[in-house]
Amino acid sequence: MKSAEEIQYAMETYADMVRRICFVHLKNRDGTEDVFQNVYMKYMLYEGMFESREHEKAWFARVTINACKDMLRYFSRRKWVSLDVIAEEKEALDDTSAEVLDVVLKLPEKYRNVIYLYYYEGYSAAEIAGILGRKENTVYTWLARAKVLLREKLGGEWA
Amino acid sequence: MNLIRESLENIKATEELKQNTLQYLREQQQGKHRVRAHFAHAYAMAVIGLLCLAGIGGGFAYSLPVTYISIDVNPSIELSVNRFGRVVSAEAYNDDGDGVIEQVPLRNISYMQAVNRLINDDKYNRYLEQDGVLVFTVISDRAEEILEEITSDELSEKYEALTYTSDLSCREEAHRHEMSFGKYRTYLELLEYDEGVTIEDCHGMTMGELRSRIDACSHAGQTGGKKQHGGGHGSHHGHDN
Repeated sequence: MKSAEEIQYAMETYADMVRRICFVHLKNRDGTEDVFQNVYMKYMLYEGMFESREHEKAWFARVTINACKDMLRYFSRRKWVSLDVIAEEKEALDDTSAEVLDVVLKLPEKYRNVIYLYYYEGYSAAEIAGILGRKENTVYTWLARAKVLLREKLGGEWA
Repeated sequence: MNLIRESLENIKATEELKQNTLQYLREQQQGKHRVRAHFAHAYAMAVIGLLCLAGIGGGFAYSLPVTYISIDVNPSIELSVNRFGRVVSAEAYNDDGDGVIEQVPLRNISYMQAVNRLINDDKYNRYLEQDGVLVFTVISDRAEEILEEITSDELSEKYEALTYTSDLSCREEAHRHEMSFGKYRTYLELLEYDEGVTIEDCHGMTMGELRSRIDACSHAGQTGGKKQHGGGHGSHHGHDN
């Protein structure tokens, strides 16, 4: 089991990333706290060793994406009412950011994942393939299609 | 910095979210320690059991629950019962339940004494008299025996108690929703007929209201009587009315 210091470090280091992945996946803030508890609980109980901080970070990204998918399945069973996630964050976002994120959030889930990991976290296609458990070529295809969709909606200046 | 990165930069985990998560982990750790303590307890029991056979007494197993009884009308109360049939803890899962256990001492007596104390209590009795539906749900290796004992009790008979069994996973899930496992089992039963019902709706309903909705849905959906429950969330045992 991880020590209190390790958990504290992981909270300070990865909480923002976990929150952003929740933002990209979940339809509203409900569920974010559950995903946090789920992800950090898994971390606390994780018995394996991380080879590096990068390995640890990729583990957090993968586990959070999976936890979000579980949460969405739970919501769909419970007929959860979706709220406007952008509106919930309106105090933190200016108009341009809100517009960009609105377009990103309307992308299919697989594209949202690659866009987030590629453009925000700066992962390569090979690294994203490792996190998502997909082939590298699939990630390239998703990235290319996502870029086309973003260009259609946001014009050429989005990246 | 690209626009996507710039836009997402503003989305951050709040301090409250971090602290709540850390608090949750601390609670889970303490729970885990408690579970470990229980395992240690069980181990100690095995040793002491042997000592008892040799004529040396011991009572470590006293606090270890082996049976759980959820008693729901509108007050929702769960009794944890040890291997000697004594109530080692009583927990309320709604405000009405809180009010009852504040007044009625239920610990360190047999579970049948506890059931009788509850049903005989004036305040509790008022819930039963107001068209209350009394439901017992039991988790135990000897659930059938316990339910038989409860249903053959004069007071339970008088109030036409319904009885069910459940399991520990249902209990765990129920507690995540801050609900007794007896009420949660009933919610799951209603959910089979009415997918629109939410756990929040259920929190605000008495067992009588839940039962009426199940009966209405099952009569609307089938010509037969009440649907029997099996599988993971429990099964029906007692008489219906």
